[in-house]
Amino acid sequence: MSWTSWMPILVLLSSLVTALIIFCLPENRHATRGLLNLAGAVIKILLVTVMIVGVEQGMTFEARYTVLPGVDFILRADGMAMFFAGLSSVLWLFTTLYAIGYLENSPNRSRFFGFFSLCVTSTMGIALAGNLFTFLLFYELLTLSTWPLVVHRGTEKALAAGRTYLIYTLTGGAVLLGGVLWLYGLVGDVEFREGGMLRDMPEALHGQFALIFAVLMVGLAVKAAMVPLHGWLPLAMVAPAPVSALLHAVAVVKAGAFGIIRVVYDLFGIEFAASLNLLWPLGMMAAITILYASLRALAQTQLKRRLAYSTISQVSYIVLGISLFGPVGTIGALVHLLHQGFMKITLFFCAGNYAETLGIHDIKDLDGAGKRMPLTSAAFTLGAFGMIGAPPLAGFISKWYLGVGAVNAGMTWALWVLIASSLLNALYFLPIVHRLWFRPRAVAGWPEEQRLSQRFETSGWLLWPTVATALFIIAAGVFAGMPFSPLSWAQLVAAGEYL
Amino acid sequence: MGASMGTAMSAAMSANWLLLLAPLTPLLLAGLWCLQGYRDSTATPERRSAPPPAALPWLAALAPVPALLIALFGSPGTHLILEPVLLGNLWVLDDVSRALLGMTALLWLISGLYAQHYRATRSDTQPNTSQHNTAFWLCWLLALAGNLGLILCRDIAGFYSCFALMTFAGYGLVVHSGSAAAKRAGRIYLIMAVPGEMLILSGLVLAASVAASPVLHALPPAIADHPWGSGIAALLWAGFGIKAGLAFLHMWLPLAHPVAPTPASAVLSGAMIKAGLLGWILVLPLGLAPVPWATLAMTGALIAAIGGALIGVTQRAPKTVLAYSSISQMGIITSMLATGLMQPALWPALAPVVVLYAVHHGLAKGALFLGVSGLTGRARLWLWLPALSLAGLPLTTGAAAKVAMKEVLYDASYPGLILLLSLAAVGTTLLMVRFMYCLRQTQQAADNTATPDSGSRALAVLTGLAILVSLIGLPWLTAGTVADTFTQRWPGAADAVQLLWPVAAGLVLGGLVGGGLASRFAGRFTARGLAIPAGDLIVLAEKAAAGVATLWQRRPGRTWRWETLVQTEGRWLARIGQRIAQLDRRISGQAGGLFVVLAIAIMLLASAA
Repeated sequence: MSWTSWMPILVLLSSLVTALIIFCLPENRHATRGLLNLAGAVIKILLVTVMIVGVEQGMTFEARYTVLPGVDFILRADGMAMFFAGLSSVLWLFTTLYAIGYLENSPNRSRFFGFFSLCVTSTMGIALAGNLFTFLLFYELLTLSTWPLVVHRGTEKALAAGRTYLIYTLTGGAVLLGGVLWLYGLVGDVEFREGGMLRDMPEALHGQFALIFAVLMVGLAVKAAMVPLHGWLPLAMVAPAPVSALLHAVAVVKAGAFGIIRVVYDLFGIEFAASLNLLWPLGMMAAITILYASLRALAQTQLKRRLAYSTISQVSYIVLGISLFGPVGTIGALVHLLHQGFMKITLFFCAGNYAETLGIHDIKDLDGAGKRMPLTSAAFTLGAFGMIGAPPLAGFISKWYLGVGAVNAGMTWALWVLIASSLLNALYFLPIVHRLWFRPRAVAGWPEEQRLSQRFETSGWLLWPTVATALFIIAAGVFAGMPFSPLSWAQLVAAGEYL
Repeated sequence: MGASMGTAMSAAMSANWLLLLAPLTPLLLAGLWCLQGYRDSTATPERRSAPPPAALPWLAALAPVPALLIALFGSPGTHLILEPVLLGNLWVLDDVSRALLGMTALLWLISGLYAQHYRATRSDTQPNTSQHNTAFWLCWLLALAGNLGLILCRDIAGFYSCFALMTFAGYGLVVHSGSAAAKRAGRIYLIMAVPGEMLILSGLVLAASVAASPVLHALPPAIADHPWGSGIAALLWAGFGIKAGLAFLHMWLPLAHPVAPTPASAVLSGAMIKAGLLGWILVLPLGLAPVPWATLAMTGALIAAIGGALIGVTQRAPKTVLAYSSISQMGIITSMLATGLMQPALWPALAPVVVLYAVHHGLAKGALFLGVSGLTGRARLWLWLPALSLAGLPLTTGAAAKVAMKEVLYDASYPGLILLLSLAAVGTTLLMVRFMYCLRQTQQAADNTATPDSGSRALAVLTGLAILVSLIGLPWLTAGTVADTFTQRWPGAADAVQLLWPVAAGLVLGGLVGGGLASRFAGRFTARGLAIPAGDLIVLAEKAAAGVATLWQRRPGRTWRWETLVQTEGRWLARIGQRIAQLDRRISGQAGGLFVVLAIAIMLLASAA
């Protein structure tokens, strides 16, 4: 095996080994655990960076191992994989930093960080999976490694949310398995390839392909939280803030969206999917999800619940972009995968900061919080404006490409969906921003204030990751044209999908 | 020789980079104010925050200086391409941006210095002035950066970014005083501005999807050739029209402009209002293809021009009168754009006049707003100069702008256009009489209590400067091709009658109303509800919304609040929310069943296959 085939395996090992060591560590070795976590995260980023540069120069990183005759375990780094892996590895570092601060002085940290690392291992596996089998394997692993994190607090509510989460995701996984087996029965093991593999198959199978597509989409839509299979996500917000960040930005919903990307682009091929008329139903489902979830977000009075519904809506932007035939729509979908991750993680970090520092869970308690926690509130403001799609922030870039892609694909209705959703975003985010900066602070004071830092508004562990991801929201928008920016990378990847 | 060429090229390149100084100077200063804000916020009762360094407000006030220098000394045609920024960033200094940049920078500069000395009513409402000043200067600098940036920026994303920055920072200026009126104005400002941004975004996306490149000047031909070109143009017309105070989309303007602190009112009504106009000039297919709704647009423009004046004369607050005058003046400018949309052949002649008129109005309106709290006693009479210039009295810049405009508009095919515009000019004169009258009324009360100090003297000097600039600044700022049009059309004696009659008619009418008749009729009428409340149509809309909200809530007597609708307090939304939540629960409760059904279906299908 050459070093190039070791690279994808090392990326997985960098967090898998961390996880295994952490499980073995005694509960009170906090410093060692923190150091291990950070070392794992940094090594992973370095490895992914090497692979990104390599892929940009046309190198292939592939590890292949035959599990059964006809079924291969494949890890491969292509442009698409690097997109998701880059996002997850960078956000994992920030989430780890944040989690170390967030869980300070709380019990069961060994268990938490162990599963945390496992969760990222599976995400990396999903990103690098080179065929449906490998993808499915890590997809299920992700479900199982996230559940302990969702129920981490062990309360009645957390357990109930965890139950719902399992019912949804396991059945979703079963449906996905059904689809994969069906396809395997028809055509055998199919690898992910730019432009897709299925269009070369005999035409007699095309009718079944359409059905398989629907089955795969249903299986993947559970994790992507598309209506009506979204019910688990708002409940899962009882989990600690870093887990919410993981669910909403780094791993879980992204895994669903990324799976849809893989199936549409690298299994079916966008042109083949379009010729089977599979794209517009997908787009309609996404549009319904976007609008429905935005309306539901409006009615929420709790900050994290509002953010959760906002995620449902925003992840379907990615799905909508996938359904837009044409490179511009593809770029929009891909770039939003990344931009949404950075914006939503910022918002959840902020929600966590308010909850930890001031005890704020309800939106109405946020009045005047901007003066008490200026950096957190500035980060929240950036995240909120990014979500609305205000230029020059990251959200604008993705919304712009999605809009132009919609028009180019002859689906102008999708543009109006985007505009309506932006208005709804403004309706549910601007009142929060207004409360932060323009309302006087409540006379009664904060619900439960803690002084977590002498110098800063809250503990540095919580504050600096938030600030860093917020700065990325600006940078990704303002310097969108730079080489290796999310947009440039998305353009590079999208160029490969159209012949 | 190669070396000298190299130095020349690098000099030219560095000159291009200087364009960035215009928006970046205020942006960087805003960063400094952010630091100051951070220091304010970390202050505790034990550890008091230091007041901002004295230099900071000065720097903020002087932030437009680089932009002004660029406008005065920059060579036209200077441009800068920044490929890695946004979707490809383009900065251009041409005749249009030069004239507008000069006016904008000058007005912001004078107003900024004015704001430094302006302390009316502010200290009463908010005890913590240090924090309050920080918020004001932060919003001020951000809005300034947006305003200067959008004038120079000629790529779609950059222009739209600056536009949005100005819009959202402008909110901070509107609500600055913290009064109930300011909050209401701010609310309505946002309710109208955010959909406006969305209209602009949708128009830009539709146009850009067929445009050759992501620069603004690719859009007009793209729209002209587009099968839905007229629809796209209508979206952009309405979207930018909200900022420009287009009739029926103007309602936020007479609420928001007057309620801001006086220097902020001056820049809102003088400079920022022109952003919508510039948007129109840059993206609409002016001079390329006629659009079918141009006649409608012209009617709307004239309704704004005349209606704004009619509603304005019923106002009592001097700043509100000025805000309605802005609507009326923008209506007159809009009529030129509407002509350009009706008859593309006329646009090349109209384009410089539009810029000329915009610069003239910006300077005059800025001076008038500053005069509201800048001058006392007899000094107020100086305000007649910009007031009559706005009305178009011969020998003023306003007259030059009006003559240049009418010369082209004689060829316009809209019936009675010149007459209607003359009526609008009568209206302008009336408005100015009304303004001076209201100013006298309000200041008589204030004069008794105020004691002149160095601050108010500085305000008076700055207002005087603004008046001076409004009188002589126009040819100076529009040096270049715009000014050529201007010098050719300097009104002669023949134009004098043309120009004089609306002013005279307005003055006579105003004099009659203001004189004996006022106490008998007009005074009584305006006192008895003939006066139209500021914001006109929005008041009806608010009443209707309140009625609907009361119906929904079935709770009489509650005042209508914006958030009531947004959040669950409104029963109607809550009820729908409950239904959906039930549905949600049902779905999540039976997710297993759902999947079983799906799985069976899949198996059946698979076996059938």
